[in-house]
Amino acid sequence: MKVAKIVIAVLSIYLVGAPLEPQENLDAKQIVDRSFQSTKLAGSEMLSTMTIIDDRGRERVRKIATVSKLYDSGKTEKRLIRFLSPADVKGTGLLTFDYESEDDDMWLFMPALRKTRRIVSTEKAKNFMGSEFTYADMTPPILDDFTYEILGEEEIAGTSCWRIAMIPVDDEVADENGFSRRIAFIAKGDFVIRRAVYYDLYGELLKELTVEEIKEIDPKNHRYRPMRMVMVNKQNDRKSVLNVDELQFNPDVNDEFFTTRYLERY
Amino acid sequence: MNKAAQKIVRFRWPIIIGFVAAALFFGSRIPRSEIESDMKAMLPSDMESRINTDRIDELFGGTDMLMVILKSGDVLEPETLERTREISRQMKRIKGVDKVLSLFELKNIKAEEGAMIVEPAVRRIPENEEQKELLRKDIAENDIVYGSVISKDFTLTAVIALLKTEVSDIEIVKEVQDLVSKIRGSEEVFVGGLPFTRVQVTKSIQGDFRRLLPLGILIMLVFLFFCFKQLRGVFLPFIVVVMSILFAMGLIPLLGWKIHVITVLVPIMLIAIANDYGIHLIAKYQEYNFEGNLFTKEELAGKIFSSLSKPVILTGLTTTAGMLCLLGHIIIPSRQISILASCGILFALAASLLFIPAVVSMLPKAKPVILARNDKKPFLEKTLVFFGKIVTSRAKAIIVFAVVSSLAVSAGIFFVVVDTDPNHYYPDEHPVAYSGRLVNDNLGGAQNISVVFQGDIKDPRIMTKIDVLEHELQAMPEVGNTTSIARVVRQMSRALNDPAEEWYDKIPDDRNAVAQYFELYSMSGDPDDFEKMVDFPYEHALLTARLNTASTKKMDHVIDRVGQRTDGDPDVALIGGFGSILSELAHKVVDGQLLSLGLAIVVIGILLMILFRSFVAGLISAIPLAISITTLFGLMGIFRIELNVATAMLSSIMIGVGVDYTIHYLWRFREERQNGLNPQDAAKKTLTTTGRGIVFNALSVIVGFIVLFTSSFIPVRFFGFLVVVSISSCLMGALILIPALCLVLKPKFLEPKSL
Repeated sequence: MKVAKIVIAVLSIYLVGAPLEPQENLDAKQIVDRSFQSTKLAGSEMLSTMTIIDDRGRERVRKIATVSKLYDSGKTEKRLIRFLSPADVKGTGLLTFDYESEDDDMWLFMPALRKTRRIVSTEKAKNFMGSEFTYADMTPPILDDFTYEILGEEEIAGTSCWRIAMIPVDDEVADENGFSRRIAFIAKGDFVIRRAVYYDLYGELLKELTVEEIKEIDPKNHRYRPMRMVMVNKQNDRKSVLNVDELQFNPDVNDEFFTTRYLERY
Repeated sequence: MNKAAQKIVRFRWPIIIGFVAAALFFGSRIPRSEIESDMKAMLPSDMESRINTDRIDELFGGTDMLMVILKSGDVLEPETLERTREISRQMKRIKGVDKVLSLFELKNIKAEEGAMIVEPAVRRIPENEEQKELLRKDIAENDIVYGSVISKDFTLTAVIALLKTEVSDIEIVKEVQDLVSKIRGSEEVFVGGLPFTRVQVTKSIQGDFRRLLPLGILIMLVFLFFCFKQLRGVFLPFIVVVMSILFAMGLIPLLGWKIHVITVLVPIMLIAIANDYGIHLIAKYQEYNFEGNLFTKEELAGKIFSSLSKPVILTGLTTTAGMLCLLGHIIIPSRQISILASCGILFALAASLLFIPAVVSMLPKAKPVILARNDKKPFLEKTLVFFGKIVTSRAKAIIVFAVVSSLAVSAGIFFVVVDTDPNHYYPDEHPVAYSGRLVNDNLGGAQNISVVFQGDIKDPRIMTKIDVLEHELQAMPEVGNTTSIARVVRQMSRALNDPAEEWYDKIPDDRNAVAQYFELYSMSGDPDDFEKMVDFPYEHALLTARLNTASTKKMDHVIDRVGQRTDGDPDVALIGGFGSILSELAHKVVDGQLLSLGLAIVVIGILLMILFRSFVAGLISAIPLAISITTLFGLMGIFRIELNVATAMLSSIMIGVGVDYTIHYLWRFREERQNGLNPQDAAKKTLTTTGRGIVFNALSVIVGFIVLFTSSFIPVRFFGFLVVVSISSCLMGALILIPALCLVLKPKFLEPKSL
């Protein structure tokens, strides 16, 4: 049965690193799924800058370092974020276990208190680090929580995209995610979102996401990351910019990083 | 008939057309006027508390609260909570709502199994008794909501909309009311808050205009007919009144002003005052047009002008002078009323002297009303004769009685209370007053005093300062609910530290720790949760103390305390808030009152001194005024009538109007003395002739102001009441006290000049 084993092994490799299917055959839900997969990295180290800008143009700038790694064959992503500046929050760390189908686990370490606190938050609509990005924006959703529809095709900055609506199946999901409808512009080539428009629970325009400078980080698996994401809140005129300053693909990130013990080692 | 009178007859057409055209022109401007219901607009823009409050609005966004209050036996019942949640949710959708504060929007920061949890104060609607009691316990420990959006006895809960600064009151109140009527339930629901009060005020102003004006006019027509029993006696003074109202009100948009709560007094004052001069002219007309007279209609017109022009001009001037003294008031609408009413009175004065004779000279002669011989003396005349008797026989006793009784009443002055609370514009059972009371007694208070700290807000030194002041204010009985960023930091410190730990329930003494608290919060709370407490760059922090009272004395107590604690502190940038505006307003009302009162007495005294070319004349005529004023304030104290924006204007108006009777009396008395009568006979004669005119004059003022009793505004009703009381007292002063004083003091200026 050696042959069979080899066939299975080959097949599984083939399936994990599945090359693109013919795009014409994908339905809306599959496109969205592929879109979320397209930015998942087996492991990474990253330096980035989050700039939060209020309606009068005043800025709050945070520099952060992030390491991340996929576990459970991609079902769980563990992430450690460490604040580098400003000085008063330097060393503050956030450890997140992002599960596919249950509430995330989060711990925050505050060096001034020498203390780690678990953060309990069930709402994905919560803003991340006080920015306009929500946890829902940062992590893949539960696919079955939404219905999907291809609305058409459109070019965004020279890239041909599908225009796809994503609608929560019920009010509870809508409440949890903080929107009643999201229209995403997903590139036909690399499946990376180029633009997304969010409508609030009352159907009014809420936020607009622009994604720029997409780079292929893991060419083997066709995984990409945008170097710059801008989220503009159209209702309160606040704006947040997440800029990736450095990004290293590294599937072999030390597992020890993703422990509260390491979180407190600062 | 003098030359001026001849000219009036000759140019009667241009005069009539000119006055009518002017009135029509100004009247046509009236529809363009706007109503101003914002209490802040009453205040001059250089008033400190107003500037500060505007600046606070700029830093932290609008702080105007429009609230929906639900009342039931237990607001934690699922139906009530569901209704509250729905109202809270839909309120967020309304355009112009900046932020909603409710059990479902405000947060609960707590520790649970080593985790800090930030979640809505009510996360899930309880499904059974046990969950309900757990929720009750949770809420009672959450000082962000307990006693502010839910009453401590759990019978009231509020959904509060903080409004954007540019929003229209009328639209937003209507939307909220529609929303409430759409989301039905068994709870009693009330709408409250300053925007609601302002809308009610605007509606009441419009209602008052629609009701008081026609009513005032009707009463005046009846009164005029009762006096003159002749159509021209009714319509000529009436047309003058209407023209002067059109003129004065038309000035409002022309001067770029708006109609305020108390501007409603202008047409009412004009109805009462502007016909006084016309009344005198008609009375004189009827006097000359006796049975069997041979005057032509032109001669009659000329005679009434030439015989009355001088006293009418003088009384018009004193009234105008009294009105103009309201300029001493800081409150903008008082100053505007002063100018509008003065212009209206001057217009009425001119119209009475020119327009009435011009019209009279054209109308066919009227049927004589005053018959040759009186068969039966009317009641009024009998009364005046009686006055003449007691004045001449008991002059000294009258003076003593007047002084003693006014001294007795004056004790009430010590009880006069100043009050500027807009909720008190209305009677207790009115929705504005009722919801205001609910909020003051159970939901943290409706007025607020705000302190802005500046600097590095995360610095424990400043944070502790905010915390200390907040605690001190919180302990004051006048303070209901307080909010500040320091309170949030404390709450976080309780969630993050165990009771045994050093930093439990404290502002940490490490700046980084404060910063990290906020960072932690930003991981689980909303970024705009703090926007009414600290600005984006953490450079300004707002401490808000809501007051459960609008009593000036109590507000002052809090403001004084804040002042003492923050005096000279460079970390404190501003002290403002609607409470501090009301308090400053109250002080300005008193100052304005004293200033305008003082001015009125001095100016009118001087006018009288000039008129009678005597210093003593000014002093003597000031005596009945002084007595009226002491009686007025005494009665205000005794009947607990508050001194407010409306009643504060009373005294100088009263002086301007009330002195007329004294002038008329003294003028005629001197004339009779010069005609050779002895003082006693002169007093009697004056009382029975001019006295009659004085009574009519005063009655017309009283009748005119009586309609104010039906105003929607309590201060305006009291204003009406006080006018009636004080004009009556001026009338009695002129008919009894002045004659008595003249007989006892025998002032030189009234004595016949020896040739």
